[in-house]
Amino acid sequence: MIGVGKPKQYGNVLDKPLSRGRQEVSLSAFAFLFSELVQYNQTQVDNIAELERRLEDAGYAVGARVLELLCHRDKGNRRETRLLGILSFIHSTVWKVLFGKVADSLEKGTEHEDEYMISEKELLVNRFISVPKDMGAFNCGAFVAGIVRGVLDGAGFPAVVTAHFVPIEGQQRPRTTILIKFAEEVLRREARLG
Amino acid sequence: MIVCVAVVGHQNNPLYLQSFTGSDDALKLHHIVHCSLDVIDERVNNPKRSASTLNETFLGLLYPTENYKVYGYLTNTKVKFIMVTTDLDVKDADVRSFFRKFHAAYVDAVCNPFHVPGKKITSNSFSERVGTIVRSFGPSMTL
Repeated sequence: MIGVGKPKQYGNVLDKPLSRGRQEVSLSAFAFLFSELVQYNQTQVDNIAELERRLEDAGYAVGARVLELLCHRDKGNRRETRLLGILSFIHSTVWKVLFGKVADSLEKGTEHEDEYMISEKELLVNRFISVPKDMGAFNCGAFVAGIVRGVLDGAGFPAVVTAHFVPIEGQQRPRTTILIKFAEEVLRREARLG
Repeated sequence: MIVCVAVVGHQNNPLYLQSFTGSDDALKLHHIVHCSLDVIDERVNNPKRSASTLNETFLGLLYPTENYKVYGYLTNTKVKFIMVTTDLDVKDADVRSFFRKFHAAYVDAVCNPFHVPGKKITSNSFSERVGTIVRSFGPSMTL
């Protein structure tokens, strides 16, 4: 019959069905917005620690909402109550939704019981940022550290999260490591759950 | 017939409270919701079976009073949804799907950048969506 097998032609653009749309935002749009965020905060503060704190707070709000959204969308009916569970949730699911891939590695700290590290060769937010020498050890990954802190706090695992540069021999740009230090009560609860 | 829904934050602070009957019952319904918070805390902190129900979000029937039934649901961020209904023969699956839709509306309300977490939810569209979900609750199972 005529018309069978051909894709339906829509005479009017208003008749086209609404697709679900791409689930991604363009990297350049995000990089632009993020650079404006950093610049705006830079004009408002006097020192680096304050700038880092502001970026972290911005990330915290994002993290809290991301947790609600992902738990509803992906996790079905489960709630994370174990430390390793929530860490692997962040390391794979959250990273995949936010940055399009899972994080490079998740390690447990050797010196202290309560430290864990998520490292990434190049954080997406840092890709178009070069920090001037006089700003020292400032890392725009503080934004991502804030996101992780928001997710952990919302799920009931209070922690202090910071972002650090770790130089690696053989590579020009240093790796970025997100250091997560859990509060006392989390470790006690974890020990109690066995 | 659902008579009341409530959203309670993780420190047991009320975030949203809405009753769907005449206002003379409203205070009693708020009191029922308040009492059911204790039952939720008990369920969460002392699980009956050690590992399997620790992770569930849907808490099920919390307690039946003389003509109401109270159902609870716990999200990953310790935010609790409570639903009070007068139906005597409501099916478990209906309640679960109600909570799923309610959770979706809640997530949308929280993603609002102007919403401060911990404060009451003041969005009108959230109230409307909740009203629609409540009205469509009933023994109607899509096959």
